[in-house]
Amino acid sequence: MAAIKLEKLNKHYGTLFHAVKDVDLEIADKEFVALVGPSGCGKSTTLRMIAGLEDITSGDIRIGERVVNHLPPRDRDVAMVFQNYALYQHMSVYDNLAFGLRNKKTPEAEIKAAIDRAAGMLGLHELLQRKPKQLSGGQQQRVALGRCIVRNPQVFLFDEPLSNLDAKLRAQMRIEIKRLHAEIPTTSVFVTHDQVEAMTLGDRVVIMRDGRVQQIGTPLQVYGKPANKFVAGFIGAPAMNFIEVTVRDQAGAVSVEGDGLRLTVGGPEAPALAARNGRRVILGLRPEHLVLGNSVQGLGFDARVEVVEQLGSEILLETRVGGSSVTAARVPAETVVVRGDQVRLSAQPGRLHFFDPETELPISG
Amino acid sequence: MAMVMRSAFLPQLPPWGRKAMFALVLAAICFAFAFPVLWLILTSLRPESGVYYVHRGTEFTFGNFAEVLREDRIVEAFLNSALIATLATVFSLLVTVSSGYMLSRFTGPASRLWFGTIYVFRCVPYISWVLPLYFVNQSWGIYDTYVGLLLPHVAVHICFFSWLMKGFFDGIDPSMEYAAMIDGCTRWGAFIRVAVPSALPAISALAVLCWLFTWNEFLFALILTGNRVPMITVVMAQFVTEMGLRWNLMAATAVMALAPAFLIALFGQKYVIRGLRI
Repeated sequence: MAAIKLEKLNKHYGTLFHAVKDVDLEIADKEFVALVGPSGCGKSTTLRMIAGLEDITSGDIRIGERVVNHLPPRDRDVAMVFQNYALYQHMSVYDNLAFGLRNKKTPEAEIKAAIDRAAGMLGLHELLQRKPKQLSGGQQQRVALGRCIVRNPQVFLFDEPLSNLDAKLRAQMRIEIKRLHAEIPTTSVFVTHDQVEAMTLGDRVVIMRDGRVQQIGTPLQVYGKPANKFVAGFIGAPAMNFIEVTVRDQAGAVSVEGDGLRLTVGGPEAPALAARNGRRVILGLRPEHLVLGNSVQGLGFDARVEVVEQLGSEILLETRVGGSSVTAARVPAETVVVRGDQVRLSAQPGRLHFFDPETELPISG
Repeated sequence: MAMVMRSAFLPQLPPWGRKAMFALVLAAICFAFAFPVLWLILTSLRPESGVYYVHRGTEFTFGNFAEVLREDRIVEAFLNSALIATLATVFSLLVTVSSGYMLSRFTGPASRLWFGTIYVFRCVPYISWVLPLYFVNQSWGIYDTYVGLLLPHVAVHICFFSWLMKGFFDGIDPSMEYAAMIDGCTRWGAFIRVAVPSALPAISALAVLCWLFTWNEFLFALILTGNRVPMITVVMAQFVTEMGLRWNLMAATAVMALAPAFLIALFGQKYVIRGLRI
């Protein structure tokens, strides 16, 4: 039983810098939550406040039933994995794993059993007698994971644990963490600036910017129904295209017009848009929802190809539509297209996003 | 063009010639540093009649060493110097390590005040401390005592070496200590059980520096001690007598005083250098 509850959590550094602003977050027992956002958005500070490494300025943190606001880290029953592994350099891997349990005066036999189990899960048996310096980055991070597991804490905290690894290893460790969470379900908070990590690992994703939570939801929710323009642009790769358009309501037929394109809007957002007849809104189109050709009536537009990125499985097209650049993904790899070509792109019905230019909130039905 | 501008001498030499030049220059530099020491050793091995003709004559003796060691005052001075150096090292390290750690990890007003204080004391020329210290020692009744010499040494070490220690801790990733705190340590526990062991190479290097600093120190020893606490650096200079300068005895004492530095250079230099590079 270890749900985490953050209530109106705030962190000020001095008088000038307000790092975390009124963060409310409930994490259920055994849930895996990913905190994601650009650097400086307050996600790491939030995590460190949960760990007790950072004082909180105001608000409450509950772990399980206890308010832990003023408890030192050692009394919070959490374990943490750091970006740079933070292994004790002067101890062997075995002693690193045993450190936490020895502090709790656990009998050596029990410690040995716990380490055996963790080492089996993570494939650390051959490394137990080595010093951290003799291990590769991936091995060190597995030891750091092991150090958390053996303690069997109520909460796992991850502070960008994969950032120092190369791309291939990062993908492997992502799977390893996911597998680990399935084997020993423990409430976990995972901080990352990489939205792919957040989406793949999190049961729910929390997107933060400038110390504020922007949206909390399942990966599908934050992808499909972004709470604002920032979330829409942050989640998804390549990033969503934004084009400034003007709404035209001609006797019930709603369309949007921009520099070089005119799209008919027929979805549930049409009435909300119609109410803004003649005003400017921001159209959001995901690159993966653009197809080559004129497949859908009223949703096609012309684009001039500027960059062709061949990925083997698909082509990414960087194009220019009037004054804005538009990226299209999912173009079949065999398509013959070169820089300077004029192509016809079509948006998919029901996949258009609209945002208010001032509030950046979505306009929907 | 640039090639032509450069001295045409070295490139003209064949590779072995360049190596030979390099070796020659190195040898010259080494000689410049080693010559006074070699001369000192040579002098210490000459009888009194031969000290002004060190480069001539073939008469060598260990008698100078024997004569020096027969004098209780010199033996006592050696022991005193070793004792003061050791105690000063131990006491100053106790403060230096934790103060360096504080300067590296904490940014509060206390840390800033401490930083400013040692900065100021560092800037004051060392020599200008000595006279005030003499009067302080006199009025506190600790003139010419171990304590009277130990305290200023510890103070100087703290001012000079806290900075080095801060640099060492800056190079050690603090997340190791955070991990320890989460793993059940207090803040002090994380410092003692994780940070200090990680800094051990640096701390040993610093210990060596502290020890040698006090062992070699002359000014405090001269002004703050009298007859009761003879120090080797002072005693060495007292071979200037009404009967003339006893160069041979002075050299023999100096050679013996060189021994610790020499031993450290011989066996410990690898560790000192590694520690200072952290």
